[in-house]
Amino acid sequence: MSAGNGFFSVEDLRLHFRTARGPVQAVDGVSFTLDRGRALVVVGESGCGKSSLARAILRLLPRNVHAYSGSVRLNGMDVMRLPEEQFRREIRWTRLALVPQGAMNSLNPVIRVGDQAAEPLLIHGRAGSPAAARQSVQEVFHEVGVPRDFLDRYPFELSGGMRQRVALATALVTKPDLIVLDEPTSALDVLTQAGIMNLLKTIKRETRTNFVLITHDIAAASEIADDAAVMYAGQLVETSRAEQFYREPLHPYSRALMASVPTLRAEKTLEFIPGRPPSLINPPPGCRFADRCPYRFDKCSEEPPMLKVDNRLVKCWLYR
Amino acid sequence: MSDTLQMVSRRHRLPDTLVRVVSYSATRLVALFFTAVVGIFVTILVANMGGYVDEIKRAEIRETVTLQVFTDPKIMRLPAEARERRMREMIRIGEERLGLDRPFLSRSLFYLRDALVLRLGFAERMNSDSGSRLVRNIILERLPPTLLLFVSADLLLFFASMFMALSLARQYGSVLDRIVIALAPTSAAPAWFFGIFLILIFAAVLRWLPFGGMVDVPPPDRSVAYAASVLKHMVLPVGAIVFSTIFLAVYSWRTFFLIFSSEDYVEVARAKGLPTRVIERRYILRPTLPTIITGFALGLIGIWTGAVVLETVFNWPGLGQALFRAVGLYDIPVILGATIIYAYLLAITVFILDILYALVDPRVKLSREGRP
Repeated sequence: MSAGNGFFSVEDLRLHFRTARGPVQAVDGVSFTLDRGRALVVVGESGCGKSSLARAILRLLPRNVHAYSGSVRLNGMDVMRLPEEQFRREIRWTRLALVPQGAMNSLNPVIRVGDQAAEPLLIHGRAGSPAAARQSVQEVFHEVGVPRDFLDRYPFELSGGMRQRVALATALVTKPDLIVLDEPTSALDVLTQAGIMNLLKTIKRETRTNFVLITHDIAAASEIADDAAVMYAGQLVETSRAEQFYREPLHPYSRALMASVPTLRAEKTLEFIPGRPPSLINPPPGCRFADRCPYRFDKCSEEPPMLKVDNRLVKCWLYR
Repeated sequence: MSDTLQMVSRRHRLPDTLVRVVSYSATRLVALFFTAVVGIFVTILVANMGGYVDEIKRAEIRETVTLQVFTDPKIMRLPAEARERRMREMIRIGEERLGLDRPFLSRSLFYLRDALVLRLGFAERMNSDSGSRLVRNIILERLPPTLLLFVSADLLLFFASMFMALSLARQYGSVLDRIVIALAPTSAAPAWFFGIFLILIFAAVLRWLPFGGMVDVPPPDRSVAYAASVLKHMVLPVGAIVFSTIFLAVYSWRTFFLIFSSEDYVEVARAKGLPTRVIERRYILRPTLPTIITGFALGLIGIWTGAVVLETVFNWPGLGQALFRAVGLYDIPVILGATIIYAYLLAITVFILDILYALVDPRVKLSREGRP
């Protein structure tokens, strides 16, 4: 992943939440680099901090932030250093956009979807007039397969798949550099999922937009992945080119994760990983996967560094 | 980049929408009218103890007639049989005058009709301020001051608490936020309780504001001076109402806004880079408007019930004070009349609420032919 121009990069990103029982280390030192026009898939099980990673990248911080540090570079500029107001005017949606989790609740129920899609254009001065904004929204709607006249509808008048398409269209309307997709298809049926995934593939090919796709659905994500990252207990444990990752995952956790994905032709027993991820409040020292790892040895009580294997990175002592 | 976003969607089929709103309103109006009718009819039944009051009245008539007969030497001189006939005749006339010769149920329907058109009859003991004995006049003269006081207090309370709640939701956990939460239990005491203290401080000690009443005595001639005088008299009662409710209202609305500001679509609005003011207006206030309006209307009805004591404390010439006096004097027609007016006011409030719901929330189906 480090070979290219590094259009988008995240370094040592941390997002800790304050709770009654102590700080939760939801994102704890995440780093990755993404080249122009590529899509990164971040996979991991529920509660591993995937959605928090999306929030941290987009600076959508909840009220109970304990710590927020690191850097998010977009074409060389560290956007985390920008003051909030400047970030809002110059970065939000025009350069970094979001397709949120769960199409059901991500649209304002009492505003027509066309108006919601046009907001970024109007607020960031990307459309000369409401008529021009309407025109642009109609074009993007058409692009993602939403009938043009749906613009005048309310969210409750659309199906789940249509709503997710509208959410996608809303993200595309300002032609941002990077779109973070947070579980964009997890609430949809398989057919609709496939439709959305194909759409994302087309958009990526045609617009060279960068995607960070956060999902637990490794199989569906393989459709558009160029790079892959595996997240476990708030940290990335492996980053790699997608072809290599899907062919041969390195980290024991990645392997277990892959073994749990059903495949059609190969005869295999689906596996699950015994045990549970560690609490993100005071996680144990050393490798966070050690407790559940079948390859555990004494070295694992120390925290492993990101080790380079060929052109891949893996956080595991086995590869030293 | 202004705070006001233009709309790009088009609202077509306006006449169609209008037809739906009107037909919906008409249906609701009929339904509410029947609710009010049932409520008033039940009140009539209860006030007449289901017809038992008739027996009391009959007994009263017999007693009066017997007393009349025995104190009238002319009748006493008649032979016993004729005297008996005379007595029965007098009782019959007395019962007929009150309509007691007809069954109670059929009479209750006439009472209902009279009540509905506000033909409330004569008060037994009270006069209206202009000297009329008609219950309708007593009530209608008292209604405007009550509406003036409580609607303005509720409006002030509503907008002040909305504004403060939004700003507290923005600075969740701040010192001001904690102060308001700490003060919320003060709302346990009713408005008149604070009223007594306000009168003590601002009227008795500081002498800035009048003790009570609605206007100076004698009332100023010019309308501007009259309005100013009324305003001066409104300060303390409105202050008491607002003070007694505002902390709890701000606390609960602030919590409400906090809950709704963690909705996914608010998150998306933030990611879009919309300014805070737009997010608050379009993404927090707009979707919750039905709830907010309900809160406003229920608040009005709630304060309403406190009117009886509050108006008495401030000597405010409103319906509450009239009701207070009527209860003291056992003036049944006035009590009934006030109940009927309250029933109407409640029905009207709910009706307006229904219409507003339909207007502000597109999800409310206006009628069966609403879009799927």
